[in-house]
Amino acid sequence: MSLGLREILNKHNGILSGTSACPGCPENMAMRMLGMGLGKDVVLVVVAGCSSVIQGNAPYNAYNFPTVNVAFAAGPATAAGLARAYKQRGKNVTVVVWAGDGGSADIGFASLSGAAERNDNILYLTVDNEAYMNSGGQRSGSTPFGAITTTTPEGKKENKKNLPLLMIAHNVPYVATASVGYPHDYIEKLKKAKQVEGFKYVHVLTPDPYGWLFDPSKTPEVAKLAVQTCYWPLFEYYNGKLSISSESLHCLDRRTRRPIRDFLSAQGRFKRLTEDQIKILEQYIDNVWEKLKSMLDNQ
Amino acid sequence: MIRKVISGNEAVALGVKLARVGVTGIYPITPQTTIIEKLAEMRAKGEIETEIVRVESEHSAMAATFGAALGGVRAFTATASQGLLYMHEMIWWVAGSRVPVVMVVGTRAVGAPWNIWNEHTDFTSERDSGWIMAFASNPQEALDLTLQAFRISEDERVFLPMMVGMDGFILSHTKTNVLIPDQEQVDDFLLPRRQPYVIDPEDPIGMGNIFPPEGYMRLRESIDLALRNSEDIIKEIGREYNKKINPLGDYSTLNVSYKLEDADYAIVLMGAWAGDAMEAVDTLREKGIKIGMLRIRYLRPWSEKEIRNALKDKRAVLVLDRSTSFGRGGGPLYVEVKSTISDIVPQIKGVVSGLGGVTVNKSELLYIFNKFVEGLKDDVIWYYPKEVGKIELRTPRDIE
Ligand code: SF4
Repeated sequence: MSLGLREILNKHNGILSGTSACPGCPENMAMRMLGMGLGKDVVLVVVAGCSSVIQGNAPYNAYNFPTVNVAFAAGPATAAGLARAYKQRGKNVTVVVWAGDGGSADIGFASLSGAAERNDNILYLTVDNEAYMNSGGQRSGSTPFGAITTTTPEGKKENKKNLPLLMIAHNVPYVATASVGYPHDYIEKLKKAKQVEGFKYVHVLTPDPYGWLFDPSKTPEVAKLAVQTCYWPLFEYYNGKLSISSESLHCLDRRTRRPIRDFLSAQGRFKRLTEDQIKILEQYIDNVWEKLKSMLDNQ
Repeated sequence: MIRKVISGNEAVALGVKLARVGVTGIYPITPQTTIIEKLAEMRAKGEIETEIVRVESEHSAMAATFGAALGGVRAFTATASQGLLYMHEMIWWVAGSRVPVVMVVGTRAVGAPWNIWNEHTDFTSERDSGWIMAFASNPQEALDLTLQAFRISEDERVFLPMMVGMDGFILSHTKTNVLIPDQEQVDDFLLPRRQPYVIDPEDPIGMGNIFPPEGYMRLRESIDLALRNSEDIIKEIGREYNKKINPLGDYSTLNVSYKLEDADYAIVLMGAWAGDAMEAVDTLREKGIKIGMLRIRYLRPWSEKEIRNALKDKRAVLVLDRSTSFGRGGGPLYVEVKSTISDIVPQIKGVVSGLGGVTVNKSELLYIFNKFVEGLKDDVIWYYPKEVGKIELRTPRDIE
């Protein structure tokens, strides 16, 4: 039985008051929901990124979990070490790596891939704001085609690296995508992941008002638009089986997809896009859905 | 206690077993590899309970070891050369976190160009990282120092990680007689794991988040203080080790003197070539030359008192470096020794040699020491054994 939002809110709150996040911060939201999904008995490993700052200055910590901060590429291995130590000491702890898209798709990818291949008993979370926001918004491997960043002022020339699909290719027991626009779905997935033994991967889209250039009051709205326009598919891959989450089911058919322009025009980073370039983005979205569909057909 | 003919790497692996290490992060790199292979073999046979994390890089080896230590168990890893450099970031992270971790470094040259043979530059390049750094001169000492490293780093007056260096191939792969203590002896010497804090869900503390500048600087100072104060603790633990485990070893001092007391001339060096150097010293002594040797066993803490005491009233001191500090002429040991004794010793000379596996044996050392006693013209020379004297390097411009 899933809980209503009210019951969820009474559970463990992942974030305490007084964070250093910007107003409208999606990572703040994702962290609050992490507590709702996982409850207690959690240890957090935070790699370099906005989340290293959001928790505030020592000796205070706004995360309502024991937190270890580590260097950019060190998250998965540090978590693997922690998980082994708890196993040795006979303790039941969910070790969570909390990393941004830079830490996951770029500098920390070898370490992420290594932990996945070893099937380390950890939960890895990517909070994807699609650029290096903590250092001011430079492009990452996870930045989408056409997006303006401080290092791609003319718009990024390459497509987004599809990390969730890459993680499925690692053959791990659990992979899921989520969006802070759909808390219920995200929290349910976290709860499920917590039950799974072995390597769990959850990738949350966290639209960032400062890097994506929209008003801070609009974070949930943009996060929803990403899903509704099928730019960001919500799915779950569990025990070798893919299932599309209900919020994304309409994307399986091209005709029922909401136009991508609705997502693009809600933010400033795509303002340079020409008609031809929008087609390239549409093509990318088509490809992703074709891949997902063929996976569904083949299982 | 039994006596067995084993290599330095085997000796270290046995040390890890006897220390009942909880988690080992492993990644292969020459010449350290047989340490982790031995550990994996012991684990497969059920001889040890150590959890082995077979990671995908040295950066992760240090991270996994760090994580395990934070989780409250004894943690170990080993590396060399490029691997140590690849770990560099995490080596600092571990020291800055003040968490006890033990690592063995099978020393090796650093590329480019590729070279798998011995020198100390990888090891010495970590001397500012905040780790306690000991260096063995034979497989026995590699075992002894590894065991002591757990005790020292887990002492509440220290709480710093510790690395033990040993010359790649020369010690890592050469078999000699080693006294191996019994488990009961080690259990009696090694107290249960202690550490400044454990990351546990019951205790929601945050570690490593942003520190205000003054707090950060204070933490840096605390590392410096802990390292400098560790000198007495290392001696105290060394004396206990002599008593409980190896009465033949002498660990009551940080560094080791040989025929220094009445010497006019002193050699200072670190590592495996100390054995050949002692023989060279003996030969010169037979000729009536009053010469002695000081072997640096602890690069950090740097025991200023001990070193000044050992070298005071010497006519001249020669420092041998198997590593480089580019742009400085001499190697790191030369620079350290010079800054320690320049006010009490009139002449301090340096020799850089043995890099990248260049063989420096007793006869070569004898040649160097003789030249030194005759009076070296230059402050620092790079010494090549005779047979490599004629090798010419081609620079990129030559090739054009
Ligand atoms: S830059 Fe974005 S992700 Fe980072 S703290 Fe600000 S709102 Fe949050």
